[in-house]
Amino acid sequence: MRRPHLIRPAQSWAGILRIAALALAALAALRSAELPDLFAERVKSCATVEFLVETELERQPVTALGVCIDDEGTLILQSSVIGARVAVRQLKDFKVYLPDSAVSGGGEYLGQDVLTGWHFVRAEPRLRASLVPVTRWVRADAPEPRLTDEVWGIGLRAKDEDFRSYFLMGRIGLIQPMPQLTAIAGSEIGGPGLPVFNRDGAFVGLGLNSFGQNFLMFSRRERGQPVVLVNVEETSVFLFAREVVPYLGRRPRDVSGRPLPWLGAFGLEPVDPEVARFLKLENQAALVVSEVLEGSPAEKAGIRGHDIIVALDGRPLPRLKPDSVVAAFLEREIDRRLPGDEFPLAVLRGTQRLEFKVVLGDEPRIIREADRRYFEKIGFTVREFLYGDGVARRVRAAERAGVIVDFVKPNSPAAMAGLAADDWIREIDGREIRTCAEAFAALAALEGDPQRLEFVALTSRGTDTAVRRVKLK
Amino acid sequence: MSGGFNRLLGAVVRIDVREIAFEQGARRFVAGVGSGVILSKDGLVLTNAHVASPHAVEISITLPSLERVGAKLVGWDHWTDLALIRLDPDELQRRHLTFQTASFGNSDALFPGQTVYAVGTPYGLTRTVTKGIISNSRRYFEDVEGVRGYETGAFNTWLQTDAAINPGNSGGPLVTEDGKVIGINSRGFVGADNLGFAIPANVARRIVAGLVAEGTIVRSYIGLVPGTLQDLERFYALALNTGVLISSVDPGSPAARAGLRGGDILLAIDSKATDGRFPEQLPPIQNQIASLPVGSTVVLGIKRSGLTLTVPVVTERLESRVGEEWAFEKWGLSVRKVSRAYARENQLDDATGVIVIGVQPGYPAAVAGLAAGDVVTRVDQQPLGTLDVMKAIYQRFEAKAEPLLVEARRERRVTLYVLKP
Repeated sequence: MRRPHLIRPAQSWAGILRIAALALAALAALRSAELPDLFAERVKSCATVEFLVETELERQPVTALGVCIDDEGTLILQSSVIGARVAVRQLKDFKVYLPDSAVSGGGEYLGQDVLTGWHFVRAEPRLRASLVPVTRWVRADAPEPRLTDEVWGIGLRAKDEDFRSYFLMGRIGLIQPMPQLTAIAGSEIGGPGLPVFNRDGAFVGLGLNSFGQNFLMFSRRERGQPVVLVNVEETSVFLFAREVVPYLGRRPRDVSGRPLPWLGAFGLEPVDPEVARFLKLENQAALVVSEVLEGSPAEKAGIRGHDIIVALDGRPLPRLKPDSVVAAFLEREIDRRLPGDEFPLAVLRGTQRLEFKVVLGDEPRIIREADRRYFEKIGFTVREFLYGDGVARRVRAAERAGVIVDFVKPNSPAAMAGLAADDWIREIDGREIRTCAEAFAALAALEGDPQRLEFVALTSRGTDTAVRRVKLK
Repeated sequence: MSGGFNRLLGAVVRIDVREIAFEQGARRFVAGVGSGVILSKDGLVLTNAHVASPHAVEISITLPSLERVGAKLVGWDHWTDLALIRLDPDELQRRHLTFQTASFGNSDALFPGQTVYAVGTPYGLTRTVTKGIISNSRRYFEDVEGVRGYETGAFNTWLQTDAAINPGNSGGPLVTEDGKVIGINSRGFVGADNLGFAIPANVARRIVAGLVAEGTIVRSYIGLVPGTLQDLERFYALALNTGVLISSVDPGSPAARAGLRGGDILLAIDSKATDGRFPEQLPPIQNQIASLPVGSTVVLGIKRSGLTLTVPVVTERLESRVGEEWAFEKWGLSVRKVSRAYARENQLDDATGVIVIGVQPGYPAAVAGLAAGDVVTRVDQQPLGTLDVMKAIYQRFEAKAEPLLVEARRERRVTLYVLKP
């Protein structure tokens, strides 16, 4: 009996050659695959997701493109498809539509990942057999796309055309870290949120939202008005596969998307190369901290407003273009970590270089998490006063109280009284409102009292305070 | 017309002003024309603050005799949109120039429907008389940047007239048939028909006296922004015609430091009851506070949710939000000092810094990336507490041009720039 033995490169040239031959054959097989066949297989990784955003007055339908990432029918959608203010409970009726068919099924919203911004949606089991995870097209040995390479992708038409799929192709014109490695093709190469492939059908990236393009618009009356046009159906921009594949497992633990790592340095402004040279920071970037937020991890660590962040984890901040990408780089480095993790920063303060071991915190409640309630008779929604409201209004933590007007129904009593969204209500009928619960109780009592003709609210807008009289009858 | 009216015509002048403007990072000269009225034999001429301001570098008066004579600014008060200038006495004497003088009537006695005349130089048309009536004798409007970016109207009501008032009429008198000056024409609604406004003579009389005596009008400030009670009395359980609603309190102001806040009711100022039910009642109340000596203690009677309090507040000097302006021409940078009022309004920590009001394309400030609206807080690591700090740095730069680090805020974001020679 022959003993099996390991083929070691130094020992068996024959083995190596055999592997190489196999690889070449596989490559040849791929190469020989016709694009229409590749297209037909890969379109099964794509879907259209439809859902409703419910507001006080209406239900707004939203349509987005998604890509399947696993065998459980999980789809990811681009960050921008759901606005930052939208609460999870406002999202209703998720539906998943497969391309080129009238087949659809329900979907479940799983939440948003803080680092990638992706929204995760799971298709109902019935659809899963028809969906092919995009990971199937990931080739570890596929070369990364280079300038001038040809790449292609899939576009999906709208509902009234049964989400018909179509083919898009272009050549890479620019590759740039933003801070993630991003390619821009000379023409549209797929739908935003859908996968991009190379000529061999290997997954090379994920379509991002298209960039705006500058045009001049001529009309009979006006000559050459500058306009920016954004193609919302197709894109020429995609994120490299290496910025996508490692993160596909970042499905949120629960629908809230928590935890949210938090530094609390507000207004990170990049320094331009001139300033960097002046500060003797050659070949690196730096960020000015405009303000350090009260009670934040940055403040606790001793960082101050006007400090200049020059290094993270002992490494100088990388030079990235445009300069503003440097701030995005640091934000991403925060989002990559968890509350409780160390975030070692070096800053310049005057001519001194200081090191800080910041321990990241969990971000205070954000707007989409705020408690809110709609009062139909008054015609407005109020929500809790959040940490961020205090920051925006420059209110010290100790003075944070009251509620914020979140929405005002046109021509309602609240609107007639001059109330507007973002007004800060401090008192109702002369009684100070400390908490959201107090406001809800007071307003519910007002609405429930048929004898009530009016009430008075003390409100602030910017630095102005005003007394507003809301007539209920 | 009456003899008085004819004499009045001999006292109305045309005013040509050449003034400095710190625009787009440079010192520029701009020219304007307005009207004025001669008040005294020694050549005091009353006009609008928006005609003759401290920016004026050359003031030239055309007398009714069509002779031209130079003049100098005595003082201005943008709050009431009034300025006082004086004809060059040497020139008057040397050239034996003569003119009539006008006198004030009683503007409190005016009634709606009364015939009035506006005299002035609309669009440079010298000695134009237009006729109308008093449309409203107590019009209230405030404008935070009504006089070339400066505040106006908080301390006085206005006369409204339908006598045609056009650009160039500014500073000219509004007179009764007997030739008495009952107002100084100041502004009209652009695009409206015959809605003109004048400063009442009784206000002007007081301002003239103050400007002659001190060259400026000093007012007190406590930081209350009054609002009308209109029909909120019942809610606040007040007798009718009692109290002023405190609509807001300027952050960091004496009133804020004394604990006052929006929604409080001001019942009395130094034991004198207030009545601010309607908008036109607010300027006299504001003026009552403004007329207090700077640094004095005023006791305010306040009602807050059922409680009546007396709150002592120490007044400070009223400042405009518009600070001193300057142009650093080699940098191509024109700036305005951050005033205390501007800092409060914009929630800045303090009044450190200058606001960029213009940059000259291609010059160091513009090349570095500074833009109008930025607040420059430090140059060469030095906080800009005063404009002089910046002027000193500029002088050193003129002597020896070296790159300078500039720190500025835009909105709330701090950015660094390098000014390179």
